[in-house]
Amino acid sequence: MKRILLKWVFIFSFYHVAVLPVAAQELGQTLDSLEVRPSLVNSRLSLPTQLTQVHVISPGEYFAPPLVADIPDDRFGDMVRMGRNIFIKTGVYAKRYAGNGLNCSSCHLQEGRKPHGIPLWAAYGRYPMYRHKTRTVVTLEERIQDCFIYSMNGIAPTLDAPEMKALVTYTKWLSKGAPVGVDLPGRGLPNISRTQDLDPKRGKIVYETRCELCHGKDGKGQKHTNGEGYMFPPLWGRDSYNKGSGLQRVRTLAKFIKGNMPLGASFSLTNQESLDVAIYIWLQDRPRNPKMSQAMDFFFPNMAR
Amino acid sequence: MRLSDNIKCSLVSWITKISIWKFFLLLLAVSFVIFLVQSVLPVFSDSHDLHRLAGEELALNGRGKIPSCVSCHGLQGQGDAKIASPRLAGLHPSYIKKQLEDYARDPLKTRAFVEPIARDYVKTPRTYGDLTVFTPGTRYDPKMNGLAKLLSAEDRHNLAIYYSKLAFVASPKAYDFETLERGEDLALRGKPEYGLPSCDSCHGPGGQGFGAIFPPLAGQPVTYIIAQINKWQAGKRDNDHLALMRNIADQLTDGDKVNVAAYYDNLSYSVNSE
Ligand code: HEC
Ligand code: HEC
Ligand code: HEC
Ligand code: HEC
Repeated sequence: MKRILLKWVFIFSFYHVAVLPVAAQELGQTLDSLEVRPSLVNSRLSLPTQLTQVHVISPGEYFAPPLVADIPDDRFGDMVRMGRNIFIKTGVYAKRYAGNGLNCSSCHLQEGRKPHGIPLWAAYGRYPMYRHKTRTVVTLEERIQDCFIYSMNGIAPTLDAPEMKALVTYTKWLSKGAPVGVDLPGRGLPNISRTQDLDPKRGKIVYETRCELCHGKDGKGQKHTNGEGYMFPPLWGRDSYNKGSGLQRVRTLAKFIKGNMPLGASFSLTNQESLDVAIYIWLQDRPRNPKMSQAMDFFFPNMAR
Repeated sequence: MRLSDNIKCSLVSWITKISIWKFFLLLLAVSFVIFLVQSVLPVFSDSHDLHRLAGEELALNGRGKIPSCVSCHGLQGQGDAKIASPRLAGLHPSYIKKQLEDYARDPLKTRAFVEPIARDYVKTPRTYGDLTVFTPGTRYDPKMNGLAKLLSAEDRHNLAIYYSKLAFVASPKAYDFETLERGEDLALRGKPEYGLPSCDSCHGPGGQGFGAIFPPLAGQPVTYIIAQINKWQAGKRDNDHLALMRNIADQLTDGDKVNVAAYYDNLSYSVNSE
């Protein structure tokens, strides 16, 4: 009987010592062959007749915010610099308020400068304004608090916190020379309309062909090589925005994707493709809305708010 | 049937006989031994090293009609700015392998033709269809095309591993202030008013590259960076995933190329070295 036992111990350890490491090494070493390149394996989504014409931007079409090199070298400039730091590295400079792996600039693209990427320079002149979500008039500070609570899944800095002052100062500096009280071209997100019913199955295909490369197979993003923060932010999961965020509304998310994603190819997806991929992302799991009870979240997981 | 029954019986009777603690202790001891052996094992059987050595041999001396790589890419794989030959040291192995495959592919076989962008491309509406999204994956270069066709899959693998393991330390060069400032603005912020993202948002912070898909720009010769962007614009390079880089290159002006290449040449950067 001892012998049989010994045999099993031997087989067990042989497997661990000889088979597993070799297999693991083999796996680690095999380089991707061409056939696994996502751009080549997946079937085409549309016929070449369905082309999207991309709007070409002519100089002066959108507001151009001032250059970072032009931040003044005084106390005001220091506040602007602090605001910019918080905006692009929220997890580092406003650690106590941020609850996930995103930065403000993950959604407000290119440091809050990109037209159709919810630019800050277009927001400054609009506030205070009436919002349907809260049914009150909100100020810019209160709007920023909302982004902290929902989009950053964190806690809101108080209205007199230095972080809040810095963010507002940065916003004001970015909108130097922008008119007040008008909707500037490129404000917020672009408008889209739908023609067909949405289908998460089609959305999954779009995700796998166009987004997976950067945002990862499981949508959890990809971390920087030094392990701090995200190179490509997570679209769902623990480190993403929560269910109360503006992006949890399918239409808003589709608008965001249409106007900004895939990175560098804005407006390259059709309206239908953006809506399909948006509903696919909407169906995934993410942190619950802090203003909604656990029970509601359990029974109606995808109810926006 | 009999054998498995036998084993089952003996296991059950044995487990019931000894105390559960002894059993766990044994398990602990076994896993400790496994751990020890596993940590020593790679020293003895490192097939990685074999690939690297084979790659080194080919890179330094060439074989038959294949010229040695060092004649153009430098002894340390550091590249050569004079003939716009890139640094290979420290690039991701999959990236090197993919580039060699793309050089070797016959452009006619992919049956795709990339139209060069028009001269006044700022005014030309770009049309996205399937051909621009699903890239055929060819890369045209008179020096590398013929050479890459001579390499076998094994050679590409070996060379990729050899070059990815080489150390490289950049020597930052001085440029005038204005060039650097403009280059930095493009590299860190892109051109938001034209929807052009920053180079660093794909090529990693400091242009140090990210994973197998996004190659480093820091430490590449200035002439090489400019030449590559020109090739994308002229339709001679069309092998990037999802046409990511092509969308970017199409929007860069001649001034942008010079500024941004200078900015990356000015950064200090090292890979694989302490
Ligand atoms: C998960 C994505 C996301 C993140 C992260 C995020 N926001 Fe937002 N933000 C949005 C969305 C969506 C809107 C609403 C846009 C709309 O409806 O047009 C918005 C709106 C705003 C607005 C008002 C814009 C306008 O035009 O009315 C401001 C100001 C703002 N956010 C500031 C911030 C700040 C500061 C941070 C960092 C603490 C931040 N946001 C982080 C998604 C995000
Ligand atoms: C080239 C890489 C790349 C591709 C491809 C890409 N993204 Fe992104 N995405 C980014 C980066 C980088 C950001 C953060 C913005 C920044 O840092 O500039 C981002 C941000 C986002 C965000 C907001 C932040 C968050 O985490 O929620 C959403 C939503 C998003 N992407 C969806 C998509 C979808 C859908 C696709 C496919 C159609 C896609 N992306 C394709 C790189 C990419
Ligand atoms: C005659 C000179 C010459 C020789 C010999 C040569 N190369 Fe090259 N190589 C070049 C040039 C020039 C380029 C840039 C080509 C371009 O513009 O696309 C290049 C590009 C490359 C690239 C693409 C790098 C990148 O960052 O995209 C790889 C990989 C490469 N060579 C590998 C090799 C290997 C491996 C060998 C040896 C078997 C070799 N080369 C021999 C001149 C040479
Ligand atoms: C949307 C993502 C993205 C952005 C933004 C981007 N690139 Fe790239 N770039 C790529 C990819 C992907 C490749 C690799 C192509 C391949 O696989 O052959 C690449 C390759 C390159 C190469 C060739 C490198 C080599 O070793 O052969 C150069 C040069 C380059 N990019 C310059 C730039 C510059 C300059 C900018 C900023 C203006 C920029 N890129 C912005 C995605 C991007």
